[in-house]
Amino acid sequence: MNWRSIGALVSKDFALFFRNRFFAVITVLALVMFAAIYFVMPDSVDETLEIGLYAPLVPPALELMQEAERGLEIEEVESEEALKEGVTEGRYEAGLVFPADIMEKLGLNQPPEIKVYFASDMPDEIREVVNVLVTEMAYLQTGQTLNIDWQPEILGLDMAGAQIPQRDRMRSLFAVFVLMTETFGLAGLISEEVERRTAWALLVTPMTVKDLFTAKGILGTLLAFSQVLLLLAVVGGMNAQPLIIVTALLLGAVLVTGVAFLIASLGKDFLSVTAWGVPALVILSIPAVGIMIPGAVSDWIKAIPSYYLTDTIYQVSNFGAGWGDIWRNLLILAGFNVVILSAGILVLRRKFQ
Amino acid sequence: MADYSIVAEDLTYWYGDLVAVDHISFHVADREILGFLGPNGAGKTTAWKMLTGQLKPKGGRATVLGRDIARDSQKVQGEIGVCFEYTNLYDQMSASENLRLFARLFGVTRFDDDALLRRVGLEGWGKHRVEEFSKGMKQRLMVARSLVNRPKILFLDEPTSGLDPVSAEAIRTVILEERERGATVFLTTHDMMEADKLSDRVAFINQGKIVALDTPHNLKQTYGKRALKAEVVADSGLEYVEIPLDMADTPDAVHDLFSQKKVVTIHSEEATLEDIFIQITGRGLQV
Repeated sequence: MNWRSIGALVSKDFALFFRNRFFAVITVLALVMFAAIYFVMPDSVDETLEIGLYAPLVPPALELMQEAERGLEIEEVESEEALKEGVTEGRYEAGLVFPADIMEKLGLNQPPEIKVYFASDMPDEIREVVNVLVTEMAYLQTGQTLNIDWQPEILGLDMAGAQIPQRDRMRSLFAVFVLMTETFGLAGLISEEVERRTAWALLVTPMTVKDLFTAKGILGTLLAFSQVLLLLAVVGGMNAQPLIIVTALLLGAVLVTGVAFLIASLGKDFLSVTAWGVPALVILSIPAVGIMIPGAVSDWIKAIPSYYLTDTIYQVSNFGAGWGDIWRNLLILAGFNVVILSAGILVLRRKFQ
Repeated sequence: MADYSIVAEDLTYWYGDLVAVDHISFHVADREILGFLGPNGAGKTTAWKMLTGQLKPKGGRATVLGRDIARDSQKVQGEIGVCFEYTNLYDQMSASENLRLFARLFGVTRFDDDALLRRVGLEGWGKHRVEEFSKGMKQRLMVARSLVNRPKILFLDEPTSGLDPVSAEAIRTVILEERERGATVFLTTHDMMEADKLSDRVAFINQGKIVALDTPHNLKQTYGKRALKAEVVADSGLEYVEIPLDMADTPDAVHDLFSQKKVVTIHSEEATLEDIFIQITGRGLQV
C-alpha cells in the first residue's frame, strides 16, 4: 500500500469535493435543514384526547370522568353547528351531542340517542376510543359497572405520558439522508474520474488500483461519518451511549461508501449517478420510515442493511439500549458492509481495467 | 541489453477476435527518440499502453528500464513519464495544483512547478484553473505533468494532435530538450512530418505489425525515389517534367531539359515518410 499516494489523492478529492458547488451546497444545506427540521418539530407528544360536546344537560358522570381520566379534555360548545365546525377543522377528535333527556333515559334504563361526529379522516382507533368513552360514561351514570377484574400489564418501558416525539423518531431518517448525500458526492467524484479519464493518469504513476480504491474509501467514509456525527450530536443523538452511536455511524459510513462504489460502477456521469442513487436512497430510507410510522412495514425490512443502523440509533438514542441489546445489529451491519463493499470494489474495478 | 531502455519481444495483444498488436519486436536505445508511426487503429496506442503498464501483454514480453513491465509495472511507472493523447487533467484545479499533485504521487519533494510551466510556455498561468485553458495550453500542461519526476523514458501518445503550430512547436522543443537531458522518448504519432523532424528512428506499424523500422534517412534511401521536378513552358502553357536522379542518362536528360525547354522552376524531390508508408503498406497514414 502506497500511503503517500493515498494521502495525496484523499486531500485532492477533499478539495475537489468542496470546490464542486453542488456537493458543497447540498452538504451544508442537508446538515442545516435536518437540524432545523428537528428543532422546529415539537419536542413532546400531545396525548390528550380532545372532544367537543354539545349538551343542554351534562351528565355528572362525564364531569367525573374528565377529572379522573388522564388525557381526556372535553370542551362544551354552544350549538350542534359549532360542534360540527370544530370537528371538521380538526379542533376535536370527535364531537358528542347529548339529547336533553339523557338523564331521564339513563334513569329509566332506556338507550339515549347520542350523536357522535368524526372527521372523515379519523382512524378507526379513535372512533373506538370515543365509543368506549361514551359507554363507560353510561355505566358510571347508571351505577352499573363492568364486572371485570382489570389488571393492565405494560410490556417494556411504559411510555404512557412520555411518548417519543416524532422528531426523535426521525433521527434515524436524518442519519440515512445525510449518509446518502455523501454517497452521491463520492459516486460523482469516482464517475467523474472515469469519465474524464483522470484515473488513467493516476494509474501510470506508482499508484495502484488498490491504492486508488483505498483513497476513495477513506474519503467517502470520512465525509459521511464526520457529517452524520455532527448532525446527530446537534440533534441529541449522542446523549446516550455515544460510543455505540459512533460505532454504528462509522459502520453506516462504510456501508454508504460501498453503495457509492456500486452506484459509481453503474453511472457514467453525474446524471446517471443521480438516477441510480435515488432508488438506493429510497430503499435505504425504508427502515427509518418504518420507525417513524410504527406498523407501516413488516419484518421484510430486516433484509435492508440500513435497518440495523436505523434500529440501533433508535434503540440507543431513545431507549438507552446498551451493547448487550444491539450487538447483533452491529454485527449484521458489519457483515452487510463486507458484502456490499466487496461487491462495489469488484464491479468498479472492471471500470479501471 | 543494458543500453536499451525498451525491449519488446513478440509483444501481442488482442481485443476479442481483433489482433491489435501482432507479435512485434523492437528495441529503443538509451537517449533515442523512436517514432511509432501508423494510421489510426494500427495498434500504436495499444503497444504504447502495454509499454506503460496500462495493459498486460497477452503474448510476448517487454522490458522497460530492464524490468518486465507486466510484473514490475509499479516500479517502472515511478521512473517514466506518460502523456496521453486525450486531455485528462483536473479542470477544477489550477495548473500548479495539477503538477504538485503528481509530484506528490511520484514522491518528488523538491519540485518547482513555475520552472516546469515556464518550459512549456505557460509562465504566469500556474494559479489559473485548467478549465480556463485552451486545448493547446492543456496539452502543454499534460506534457509538463509527464515531466514532474524527471523521467528516464518519456512516453508520448500523439502529443501534438490537433494543436495550433505554436503549441505543437513548444511541445517538440520540450521533447528534444528531454532527449538532451538524457531521456529516451517513445513517440506514437500519425503525423509523418513530426516523426521525421523528431525521431532518430521510426517504426511503421500497420495492422498490428511493424512493417519497417529504421532511421528516416535510411527509409528514404531504401524506399524513396529521388527526382528533379521542373516546370517548363510548352505550346499549351506550363507543363511538368520529372527526371529521375541516380540513373545513367540523368546528366543527358538534365542537359536536354535546359537546352530544349524554357525552365520556369526546378527543384529536387525527395520521398516523404508518408510516400514510403503508402509504398510499403498500400494505405495512407490518415486512414
